[in-house]
Amino acid sequence: MVKFTADELRRIMDYKHNIRNMSVIAHVDHGKSTLTDSLVAAAGIIAQEVAGDVRMTDTRADEAERGITIKSTGISLYYEMTDESLKSYKGERQGNEYLINLIDSPGHVDFSSEVTAALRITDGALVVVDCVEGVCVQTETVLRQALGERIRPVLTVNKMDRCFLELQVDGEEAYQTFQRVIENANVIMATYEDPLLGDVQVYPEKGTVAFSAGLHGWAFTLTNFAKMYASKFGVDESKMMERLWGENFFDPATKKWTTKNTGSPTCKRGFVQFCYEPIKQIINTCMNDQKDKLWPMLQKLGVTMKSDEKDLMGKALMKRVMQTWLPASTALLEMMIFHLPSPATAQKYRVENLYEGPLDDAYATAIRNCDPEGPLMLYVSKMIPASDKGRFFAFGRVFSGKVSTGLKVRIMGPNYVPGEKKDLYVKSVQRTVIWMGKKQETVEDVPCGNTVAMVGLDQFITKNATLTNEKEVDAHPIKAMKFSVSPVVRVAVQCKVASDLPKLVEGLKRLAKSDPMVVCTIEESGEHIVAGAGELHLEICLKDLQEDFMGGAEIIKSDPVVSFRETVLERSCRTVMSKSPNKHNRLYMEARPMEDGLAEAIDDGKIGPRDDPKVRSKILSEEYGWDKDLAKKIWCFGPETLGPNMVVDMCKGVQYLNEIKDSVVAGFQWASKEGALAEENMRAICFEVCDVVLHADAIHRGGGQIIPTARRVFYASQLTAKPRLLEPVYLVEIQAPEQALGGIYSVLNQKRGHVFEEMQRPGTPLYNIKAYLPVIESFGFSSTLRAATSGQAFPQCVFDHWDMMSSDPMEAGSQAAQLVCDIRKRKGLKEQMTPLSEFEDKL
Amino acid sequence: MLYIIGLGLGDERDITLKGLEAVSNCHKVYMEAYTSLLSFGLSTDGLSNLEKLYGKTITLADREMVEEKADDILSDSLDADVAFLVVGDPFGATTHTDLVVRAKKMGIEVKIVHNASVMNAIGICGLQLYRYGETVSIPFFTETWRPDSFYEKIQKNQMMGLHTLCLLDIRVKEPSLESLCRGRKLYEPPRYMTINTAIEQLLEIGQAREYPVYTEDTECVGFARLGSEDQMIVAGAMRQLRMIDFGAPLHCLVIIGKTHPLEEEMLDFYRCRD
Repeated sequence: MVKFTADELRRIMDYKHNIRNMSVIAHVDHGKSTLTDSLVAAAGIIAQEVAGDVRMTDTRADEAERGITIKSTGISLYYEMTDESLKSYKGERQGNEYLINLIDSPGHVDFSSEVTAALRITDGALVVVDCVEGVCVQTETVLRQALGERIRPVLTVNKMDRCFLELQVDGEEAYQTFQRVIENANVIMATYEDPLLGDVQVYPEKGTVAFSAGLHGWAFTLTNFAKMYASKFGVDESKMMERLWGENFFDPATKKWTTKNTGSPTCKRGFVQFCYEPIKQIINTCMNDQKDKLWPMLQKLGVTMKSDEKDLMGKALMKRVMQTWLPASTALLEMMIFHLPSPATAQKYRVENLYEGPLDDAYATAIRNCDPEGPLMLYVSKMIPASDKGRFFAFGRVFSGKVSTGLKVRIMGPNYVPGEKKDLYVKSVQRTVIWMGKKQETVEDVPCGNTVAMVGLDQFITKNATLTNEKEVDAHPIKAMKFSVSPVVRVAVQCKVASDLPKLVEGLKRLAKSDPMVVCTIEESGEHIVAGAGELHLEICLKDLQEDFMGGAEIIKSDPVVSFRETVLERSCRTVMSKSPNKHNRLYMEARPMEDGLAEAIDDGKIGPRDDPKVRSKILSEEYGWDKDLAKKIWCFGPETLGPNMVVDMCKGVQYLNEIKDSVVAGFQWASKEGALAEENMRAICFEVCDVVLHADAIHRGGGQIIPTARRVFYASQLTAKPRLLEPVYLVEIQAPEQALGGIYSVLNQKRGHVFEEMQRPGTPLYNIKAYLPVIESFGFSSTLRAATSGQAFPQCVFDHWDMMSSDPMEAGSQAAQLVCDIRKRKGLKEQMTPLSEFEDKL
Repeated sequence: MLYIIGLGLGDERDITLKGLEAVSNCHKVYMEAYTSLLSFGLSTDGLSNLEKLYGKTITLADREMVEEKADDILSDSLDADVAFLVVGDPFGATTHTDLVVRAKKMGIEVKIVHNASVMNAIGICGLQLYRYGETVSIPFFTETWRPDSFYEKIQKNQMMGLHTLCLLDIRVKEPSLESLCRGRKLYEPPRYMTINTAIEQLLEIGQAREYPVYTEDTECVGFARLGSEDQMIVAGAMRQLRMIDFGAPLHCLVIIGKTHPLEEEMLDFYRCRD
């Protein structure tokens, strides 16, 4: 029984004020997918009775099996509001029908790239927090990500049922817990002051916080109760809402509101008196099967049950009663419609974050106005495997214009540079599709403000792309997504049967497409490498690779390997020089470590190649103590032109220097990608070009002469500046009861981890432990920890920072030297590092 | 002993008598094959012609060998006589100075056998060698690399009324830029710049200036295969030379400065008429 048709959906897609694009984000296991089910049920896709059990958005078998979400799934919902409930809605709207494009995303940190992809195409986020566990590390990460993308959040305190059934806490205690959860979330949000987005903190009394029990399919906001009581107390709704939260107490004996607890036994907090206790009462009556008491109570609340439902007993009865009284979908959908922005509103302020080109051109204007008549601007944020193996849907969001079946589009890939032909294709969209959970519906076209899936573009898009009309040659692409995790764990894969190699190669290509984060590369030695965010992520990727993308052909994987970074500890001990092959050109250079925090700033995109040089030099001089003029002489960043290393021109009065700049930059991209120690990426090294001697004639100082020379001099300066290795370190958050702490500490010690925070969660017997753990030690960490604590401790690892290894890789026999040697062996390089004399020339 | 022997510009028989004697006495013979090429260098049996005439096996030394593995050549010449054959004159192409310097530092005796070079053979067009300014090379432009420093040199020459010899880029066994960035060497197919391309590039750079020192109407002389039997020499405005097919490489170009009447008379023989 489906309540709505694709045609109906398509019709509302044109009402840009009546659309809400939102994602559901949370820490793992806080109940996102379960909650999403209730919303889907309301739209009539699944039956109300099974809502909470189906996990409609977990479409993969392994998701259902593990009970976690792995891929983010989109679903379009149609919802009709009543005139009554829209009475107080102040924003623009066209009719009472609403379209909600909802994306359920994974909570496990290993998959947070999926969250990034989901956030890009939505405008609002429903943040789900477990009322007992509270704000966890991943809640914090996703909130940061959301606010960074200018996504407006609303909060739901979930798993309320635990309070009533499992913990049986009294009203005041529950209130304190909820209050703390909300406060913790607000602390994070408050750090993101954004004048355009306005106040992003959430307040129950303003209706931006809901209380829900996803498993049982009920939820409420204070609005629900305020409506109920407003008439009774003869005050208006908003006044009533304020009374239902915070320091407002009511004494039924005196029938008076106070702002302090009067101490009388009947005086209770508004929230407890009017929200918590009634629910508790209903639940208890249901659970105790006191039906004679129940029916009159329900009648008073205006809840009518169907006759067959009256026969239900215990939990089933309770679930049904609560669903009828406080349906989760109504509360949550109303909250979203009221408090999350429509695309028309959101794109006004999001355009700055989205568009790479000038903010006053036709494309920026079209995005800002969410103009369906404007040029097409569409961002493909991920590729979704289609049911016929090997093909993909391109899934994304239309920011302006319309995309339709058969439309010829210009596909700008991530490496596209306006005005050039690199990474640019013109192709036709074969079919436009909207996504409804497990099934898809084909539609003629999709206008701006909506999410869409497209068929026929998968061969031209690797992971993401910007689409525009064929003739819009001046359009700049939409900014690339910034991921909060990086692919630091790698395995080498090979096939068991040699003749499967073509399958492996093709499979890796498809794998790279299907996941926003995974990186598939081929090493010099011919090894195929798959890199992911963590152990679990890799496990899922390899499973997909084998089962879905290689038709079940068997693969062998190596032990997980961690990527390192190469850096320097000090300034080069002398200025090094390298001569070009023809000996007529000489480059002089020094390397030095970057100032603290600068590499991270480059990682975060605060400083980068596309900055206005004036702004950049201001930041560099004020925050990092650079000389102002020097800051203007940055030649490039690398590797991949964005990385956290740079070349600075310190030369004075060298003629024709700009003619060799490109060659030096090319050599740098290469050198910074494969450092001199073990061909790992460099990090936080600043190279200073001290002097250059060039041949008088341009032909003798071309790329062929300069590029290899530049590379050698980069290596020479790295090797003379006390090179060091950096290893990746996870931030681990573990929640466990007190008796498990001993086990946790001993496992962490064993694995070179160190705890830097231990805190008891107020109101619970649980402890929260934060520690740093080298990624290389993290393999098998979860299982060891579980064994040592009899399954009571659950770690969440998220990449945190790079840590310098203190030993000297140049000193034979040191730990770092051994690591370098191992990496080189694995990569098929000579085990011995190339000596400095190969890179440096003497006069 | 290291002999660096100029082979001249035409064919294998342009070697001097002194050079030939040195070659026949040498233990090992290398031939440099990238800063220029003999006109017959393009034919497949060019080298064997040389070998026939000189009665020696010749090792072809490409750019990599000369620039990066010069030590092999030098260590051979420590205790035996080695000949290093160079098209044109040993010091016409700059890179060989380095070889001499290194040889001398290693205590190897170096003997030079001179021959004709493009630097003096251009005299044939009638422009006096005394009246040439700094020589420039015109490199192939790429998407991103468009060096224009030659313009300033031409400008200086022109202001002093001097002629400018423009040597045109040759790319024999040059690693492609992309492959250089990746660290492996893949070679581009050999390319030789024609006078037509050179003029296009010269004009492109000139037109970007407010008062260019040369324009389409500036008089030039184009040379192809200088010193060989079928050499071709045409004088005319850039506009005219641009349309002419000069045929097989190598090409070079002279931008004419202030001329003497006698130079004019000589140029008239080559003047293109249309």
